[in-house]
Amino acid sequence: MKTHILVQKHAFCNPSLTIKTKQQVYANSKLLTSFPTMPGAMTSYSRAPQVDRRTMGSVELLHMSVFSQSFSPCGRFLAAGNNYGEIGIFSLCAALSPDGSDTSRKPVLTFPAHDGPVFCLESFGGQLLSAGNGSVSAWNWGDLIKKNVKAAWTKRPEYKGGMEIPEINAMVANPRDNSLVFGGGDNNIHVLDLEHGVFKAVFEGHSDYIHCLSAREREGEILSGGEDGTVRMWDCRTSECIHRVDVHKYQKCARPQFGKWISCLTTDSDWMLCGGGPFLSLWHLRSLTPTSVFTLSGCQRRALFYQDMILAVGQGATVSHCLLGGQVKAQIPCTPNNVNSLALNTNSTEHQVLTVAGSSPHVDVFTNVSYRAFSLHF
Amino acid sequence: MMGSVTDDEVIRKRLLIDGDGAGDDRRINLLLKTVTKWCNSSGAPDESFTQYQRMLGTLAQCEFSLGKTQMVYDMNLREMENYGKIYTNIEQNITSAHQKITECKKEILRAKRVRKNRQEYDALAKVIQHHPNRHETLKQLEALDKELQQLSTIKENVDAKLELRKKQFHVLLSTIQELQQTLENDEKLDIDESNQQSPQESTE
Repeated sequence: MKTHILVQKHAFCNPSLTIKTKQQVYANSKLLTSFPTMPGAMTSYSRAPQVDRRTMGSVELLHMSVFSQSFSPCGRFLAAGNNYGEIGIFSLCAALSPDGSDTSRKPVLTFPAHDGPVFCLESFGGQLLSAGNGSVSAWNWGDLIKKNVKAAWTKRPEYKGGMEIPEINAMVANPRDNSLVFGGGDNNIHVLDLEHGVFKAVFEGHSDYIHCLSAREREGEILSGGEDGTVRMWDCRTSECIHRVDVHKYQKCARPQFGKWISCLTTDSDWMLCGGGPFLSLWHLRSLTPTSVFTLSGCQRRALFYQDMILAVGQGATVSHCLLGGQVKAQIPCTPNNVNSLALNTNSTEHQVLTVAGSSPHVDVFTNVSYRAFSLHF
Repeated sequence: MMGSVTDDEVIRKRLLIDGDGAGDDRRINLLLKTVTKWCNSSGAPDESFTQYQRMLGTLAQCEFSLGKTQMVYDMNLREMENYGKIYTNIEQNITSAHQKITECKKEILRAKRVRKNRQEYDALAKVIQHHPNRHETLKQLEALDKELQQLSTIKENVDAKLELRKKQFHVLLSTIQELQQTLENDEKLDIDESNQQSPQESTE
């Protein structure tokens, strides 16, 4: 089986290793490199193995990780970005129809989007915004549905200093002032004004790279969590850091054996969920106090508020359902061993599904949150 | 061509009615044959009478089966009506059940929101419980205020007293000084006077 893989030689990559082990170095979730907090570790993702799409063999599929997902505005398509820099568009209508077969669970379109892994995807204003290796690209959903692969625009902010191009780990759209906020390896958060296409502001303050972002729409604030263990709240208009919470300093949340990094952040304006190294905990934002702590064994990557529950995913092949009081109600098994991304389709009433993706080429689809219905396959 | 079509129809109909040849069709054919035989027979009146009776019997049988089929047909019509009614009834039930389902779904969403709010209140209440009671804190504050006031009044009194004593001492000291001055002045005057008198005496 022919495999075309260009492997970047790095200082810590021993050239005498076999091809398979080199692939393992590039494989799987960012989680593995977050454990020892080496800033240099992130550069291993600035060059993804360049794979020729036509000859993607089973070994590449084995090492594929899906990092991000986003639903189309009509709710009929799912875009998923993987570590080879590709974005796959899946048709939910075909997959959910009663006569869905294996072929309907494959992507209708797969195209190379970035030369690094696609860490974030966001659907905003009729466009699919993808971020990978330091730059953000926009693709029109209308064009993608017609299989026309041409980026509407690609932008890159001014990165100060260094020759490395920092990757973008998190991206969130702020509908209040029509802007896109993203942050990554250069410890800063950049704000791009989508109307004018210029970079409006930079929020500086984190001392280590940023893992996750969330927008607090009612107050017009952005919350960011990073490797330095702090959750900071930024005001969009003044670009000032309003609050700063050191989650690991709170006794009941801290897990020193995992570290202090925050990789999971969600908010619904009054409450905030944050977790990562420390336990996943629910915070009341007005008083900035942790109200409940969820004792989940792994490190959580993503969490969502869903009806009266909290859905959390991360290390471990499960989707955890928790109640706001701190109890873990259920843990639903899923295919990927480590889950990177969780998405809920709120754009369509008939395809209301929950999709879960991680260190596997399969994207699990849950039609009822309590069990896995089937999997889409890259 | 028309003839063949109707022939087919005829054949089909006959097969439908009585395909196996062991029923009414056979009976009617038999009756027909018996009638022709009986008409053409010139036998004894006894035999012809029995044959005639037999023919009547066969005819009665045919009439009986005709009546039976008619009744079955009526029954089928009525059953069809009945089933039609049941069918519409079930359809109505289905639509009302669908409506009830959507209502219940909305209800469940509302209930989940209420539950979420209750859980949020509980979570906040847990945090609030850690803080001391507001009444107690207010009472403590009041007591402290009172103490503060008392102490400040005492301080004022002590200050006033101090001022008064200072003033009194000042008065005393100034009076003493004045007295001293006056005594000194008197002494001086006395000395001056005595000095003046003695030179006058010496000159005399």
